[in-house]
Amino acid sequence: MINTIPIHYFLLLSAMLFTIGMLGVIFRRNALIVFMSIELMLNAVNLTLVTFSRFRGDSSGHVIAFLVMAVAAAEAAVGLAIIINIFRHKKVVNIDTMDRMKY
Amino acid sequence: MDGYSALLVVTFLVVGLAVTMLVLNLLLGPKNPSAIKSEPFECGQVQITSPRQRFSVKFYLIAIVFIVFDIEVVFLIPWAVLYRWFLTQPSWAVLAFTEMLVFLGILGLGLAYFWKRRGLEWD
Amino acid sequence: MALILFFVFAIAAVLSGICVAFSPFGNNPVYSAIALIMTLFFLACEFVLLHATFIAVLQILVYAGAIMVLFTFVIMLLNLSKEEIGEERLTLTKVVGLVVVLIGLTYQIGRVIWAHKVAPVTLHLTDGGPSNPAFGTIQDVGVKLFQDFLVPFEVTSILLLVAIVGAVVLAKRKI
Repeated sequence: MINTIPIHYFLLLSAMLFTIGMLGVIFRRNALIVFMSIELMLNAVNLTLVTFSRFRGDSSGHVIAFLVMAVAAAEAAVGLAIIINIFRHKKVVNIDTMDRMKY
Repeated sequence: MDGYSALLVVTFLVVGLAVTMLVLNLLLGPKNPSAIKSEPFECGQVQITSPRQRFSVKFYLIAIVFIVFDIEVVFLIPWAVLYRWFLTQPSWAVLAFTEMLVFLGILGLGLAYFWKRRGLEWD
Repeated sequence: MALILFFVFAIAAVLSGICVAFSPFGNNPVYSAIALIMTLFFLACEFVLLHATFIAVLQILVYAGAIMVLFTFVIMLLNLSKEEIGEERLTLTKVVGLVVVLIGLTYQIGRVIWAHKVAPVTLHLTDGGPSNPAFGTIQDVGVKLFQDFLVPFEVTSILLLVAIVGAVVLAKRKI
């Protein structure tokens, strides 16, 4: 009994991590921390993919998790370049100040 | 899963050893801090500038190229592991080679672009 | 044993995840980056519990080894001071967002628990593993990647190409 893990524990863990990441995106104004919260959400999704992959005994989910990692790397490269550029122009990384195109 | 229990034991041993050493050092080591001892040490010199300076954004470009080609190598690993097996499958042997060739070709285009834009040079 | 390991890693992952978004140590993003590395590590441990050994290795190799290096690198590059970080404000929108997210989480938890009540599915760590003994190994994932996921694999290379071009355009002073 103690050697078995109910599958929904993994899903609940993933849901919690996703929620933490989402709250980070909603609440924090530091662009870098917002970005890290997005990475956390991507990882929560990866955990769900791997869990269902294990559940179905089909490793397609692993491949998708692999591709998600590649996407995360590309996203980090371009997103951090954008943050550096904004910092060079405005000298802040607070996303509340990046509202010039909003009005 | 027996291999993992060994890994677990090693992990506990390593963490336990590190914590023990730090705690023993904290308990047994003599501490006599003074103003002159807690100054930042820089080869015996008095500091000229602050160590917290921004460094050039040029380093960032190198980091980007590193991360992209890191991902490329990670994609190469399963391909390299499986290549012999692909050769035994007549229908996949050519395709497995071609698809990696296309993949590397497209990333090679990226490297060519980076080179052309003088990303590999310092200024 | 497996259940205990799961809970140890899960609690560690959630706690360090909280430290990523709401760091109790201060506003400096370095604390968030270190906490994120720890979260990624504990998630890799969860992947091992799920027999996803290759993904677990990749998690350490790619995420903790490459992406987080880039993050800490940028944090050091910007080297933010207090006024550049700016202040956090609590607005009505954020409170509404909190409520909505929590409702979503409760709904999700309810659905999952309900589904488990209807048809419980448990994973075995030692006995009755996946029917395929090679499940989650590099060969298994590789065959899937190079045969069934051929097009996504090639498109990934175009994505990485776009990442190089975008980064050069954005970060190079003189193109």
